[in-house]
Amino acid sequence: MKTAEPKKERMDLDDATYLAAYKDGDTAALGELVEKYRRPLFGFIIKFSEGREDADEIFQEVWVRAIKNMNRYRQKNLLSWLFRIAHNLMIDRIRRNRKTVSFDTPAFADGASVSDRLATERLSPDAETDGRELGLRIAAAADNLPVEQREVFWLRMQAGLSFKEIAKVQTCSVNTALARMQYALSKLRNELSADYQDLREAGV
Amino acid sequence: MKTVKIERWLLLEQSGELPDRKRQRLRRELESSAEVRRLRDELDRLYGAMPQPDEKPGPLTLQRIHARLGRESRPLLFFRQWKPALALAAGLAVIAGLLIFHEKPGTASAVVFATAEADPGEVWDDPLAGDLEELETLILAISESPLDIMEL
Repeated sequence: MKTAEPKKERMDLDDATYLAAYKDGDTAALGELVEKYRRPLFGFIIKFSEGREDADEIFQEVWVRAIKNMNRYRQKNLLSWLFRIAHNLMIDRIRRNRKTVSFDTPAFADGASVSDRLATERLSPDAETDGRELGLRIAAAADNLPVEQREVFWLRMQAGLSFKEIAKVQTCSVNTALARMQYALSKLRNELSADYQDLREAGV
Repeated sequence: MKTVKIERWLLLEQSGELPDRKRQRLRRELESSAEVRRLRDELDRLYGAMPQPDEKPGPLTLQRIHARLGRESRPLLFFRQWKPALALAAGLAVIAGLLIFHEKPGTASAVVFATAEADPGEVWDDPLAGDLEELETLILAISESPLDIMEL
């Protein structure tokens, strides 16, 4: 049976070595780690932040907290740990600035939510013509999911975390993480019925 | 088997978390049901269709992380290094304060302070009142006597 392997990079000896090297004063080691996990981590953060500047700030904060607490680092997967820090940071920000950070409540003068605006921005004419439009439509539709479901969806589909790791990030059971994923898939199916037809018939 | 359960198993199978026993059962389901195969293909294709994240943090992000780590670790180190000395200094300051400000009652400074603070209408016992009265009587007695200053 064909299995879609997770797209994540597993915590390996390199990560522990880099962390130890940084602790010993080798600043370049941190650069290697930041570069290694930059794409999935920043890609995740930017989905749940208020824009590039905000995402930059959270990204920096994640690494600062990770390094400051590296003595408590026990997990096998560094990326999963970084996601957990990012998740906690974003939850804190949402609680603190609920009115401005909520993605699903109207945030703009025309009544659109942050999610709507992000979705619209991603469906620009240029993007439509570059051959990635189906993926972008799925991504845009996923932006309209409730936060928990959206988070599971991104952590699984883009960061490639296992459900066990996602459950750790969200501090919930594996079954809850799975159920959130299933709700997300169900909503996407309804919202993108035509695209799902394409997925079934033509493949990608 | 219910579709919800099958989908759950497919998701776990996709992430490599489905136990062997369940994987064998799932394989049988896949062989026997076109609907399960359709669901599996749909998930695989959805997974494949997802765009990879290509956003990058700002070019100065790493320098800022280094700067923040340097900035935030320094005060901590400073405090830890000087903690015993700071504790000793605080202890000495408390002892010195006790020695300086702990004076016996009835001294001049206390009287002056109490006089300044006293309510004019309030009746209170002045420990020097008797002496002052005696001094006043003496002065009056001297002033009433026909003593010529030149004789002195």
